[in-house]
Amino acid sequence: MNRRNRILLSCVYWAFVAYVFVPLILMVLMGFKDSKFIGFPIRSYTLDWYMGVFEDAETISAFLYSVAIAVLSTIGSIIVGTWIAVLLEGRKFWGRAVIFGMTILPALIPGIISAIAFRIYARYLGIEPGMGAIVWAHAVHNVPFVVLVVMARLSTLPKSQIEAARDLGADPLIAFLRITFPYLVPAIMGASIFCLLLSFDDFVRSFFLGGYEPTLPVLIFAKLKSGMSPEINAIATAALLLTAVIGVWAERFTRRMNKDS
Amino acid sequence: MSNAPLVRLDGITKRFGDTVALSELSLDIAEGEFVTFLGPSGCGKSTTLRILGGFEQPTNGKVLLRGEDVTRRPPEKRNVNMVFQDYALFPHMTVRQNIGFGLELKGMGKTEIRARQDEIMSFLELDAFGDRYPAQLSGGQRQRVALARALAPDPALLLLDEPLGALDAKLRGQVQQELKSIQRRTHKTFFFVTHDQEEALTMSDRIVVMNKGKVEQDGTPEELYFQPATRFVAEFIGETNLLHGELRGTEGDTAVMDWFGQTLRGTAPAGLPVAGQPVTASVRLERLGFHAARPETANAVQGRVTGKTFLGSRMALDIAVEQAQGATLRAYTDAGTGQALSGDVPVWIGWDEASMAILRD
Repeated sequence: MNRRNRILLSCVYWAFVAYVFVPLILMVLMGFKDSKFIGFPIRSYTLDWYMGVFEDAETISAFLYSVAIAVLSTIGSIIVGTWIAVLLEGRKFWGRAVIFGMTILPALIPGIISAIAFRIYARYLGIEPGMGAIVWAHAVHNVPFVVLVVMARLSTLPKSQIEAARDLGADPLIAFLRITFPYLVPAIMGASIFCLLLSFDDFVRSFFLGGYEPTLPVLIFAKLKSGMSPEINAIATAALLLTAVIGVWAERFTRRMNKDS
Repeated sequence: MSNAPLVRLDGITKRFGDTVALSELSLDIAEGEFVTFLGPSGCGKSTTLRILGGFEQPTNGKVLLRGEDVTRRPPEKRNVNMVFQDYALFPHMTVRQNIGFGLELKGMGKTEIRARQDEIMSFLELDAFGDRYPAQLSGGQRQRVALARALAPDPALLLLDEPLGALDAKLRGQVQQELKSIQRRTHKTFFFVTHDQEEALTMSDRIVVMNKGKVEQDGTPEELYFQPATRFVAEFIGETNLLHGELRGTEGDTAVMDWFGQTLRGTAPAGLPVAGQPVTASVRLERLGFHAARPETANAVQGRVTGKTFLGSRMALDIAVEQAQGATLRAYTDAGTGQALSGDVPVWIGWDEASMAILRD
């Protein structure tokens, strides 16, 4: 690569970094501004907005509500997704491609459309808007990611591992529980973190299927309607920090687990 | 039941779609034998192993284990264990846990399992590695753990699927000796599959040479080496001289053939073509002797040395036999004799009847 190309490449790279991070940095910065009006110049800094967030019962309960939804929907996605992955991987049967396609579809449908569809279907089934409906919608939406991650891991499990277990006296169920499942744990951990973050972050489905209690993104949206304030920046920054830490930790964790085996 | 062989394969045929992997294989294996299935890839040796293990079901035929029909039994319900080609050690279990896996599933008690683990680990010199994970072991150690895990549940038959393939050449020789000695000491029946003829010759009591789903020859290593029945066996095992001629006839165990006007005598297997048909004979390189005058051996021809290859402990010589339209023979001799021979002086080459096998095609 010659010199001009190298310079060009680094320019593109840094432009990309700026594009991604400048808005985030501005958001974080404004959360510390000692004034109700967002914008430059910043004359003095304060932690008051953060204090306000941690003392605000509404925000805390929305946060806990979001966490509960994320945990429950993730458990659902993992059970269903792992099951489907185990059924699909390494097997050849008529209609496998169709089943695989339908499994992946929920990840590709635009959020607003699936949210409306869920809303209509929930009413038809008589399910009240609220936590149950949101958990259900999140779980369905996240299953494809679990299926893809678990299938990828499963495809690297040597066939001889299962045969060895069978050879030593394990029936298919014991072989799955004692050999296949431990092998899948890193993938399941990675998929779980991803599902947790996806659910925590979701707005559209939570908005359409929610009852009176708002999730954190829905609450932020509601607050935005009554005017922009550094309080929102503070909430967003806290959420950003949390998800970034979990995401980075999960990435390192799965990489280490994959190296071990 | 004491007369029944340990394993009986009765007319086993296996088809995968249109390909026939095994056709009409029938064979008995006696208790305590070290049997090797030898052949090129795709000859059906691995399929036979997998049928014995219960991982494949034959299209036709029966598998009897100690007289009992186990053809349709899944692997977990057979008293047969296997050492896999990639060892298939469980990565998330220690050496001790790997060895204990089969014992646990046999329903053995904790103290009993512990005792058996200790016994087998000391037998295979793995005591120091009990708490290690497979990733922390060398290739040779992993191979021993795989063997220990398969031997621990005390199987009636041990299957070994090319278990030395992943080892480097130096280690392989050592492990061959070890395996043979383990087999002797445990009195277990080993069913070994390999494509490596040297490995087969070193370890086996009995070798079954397979080709295209059929048995080419079944015998001791010596029989296979010195009395190959077919051309495939002669060429697959070791290096050999193939002499193409015409069959004159048979006299008891002796077959007489014509090789470019030379009359040669060799041993005759069953199923030779009738006299007058083209035939091939095999003589091992080290069975040819060099003589200054015509020797007393059953077969003798005169030739000239046309090439020498120094191999260290011995020398390979190429000899053109003038009386046989310049056909060449290749022979081993010690380096001293080889050096003394010159291409200018004709030399007599002799070999006896038992050294030459007339082959079926």
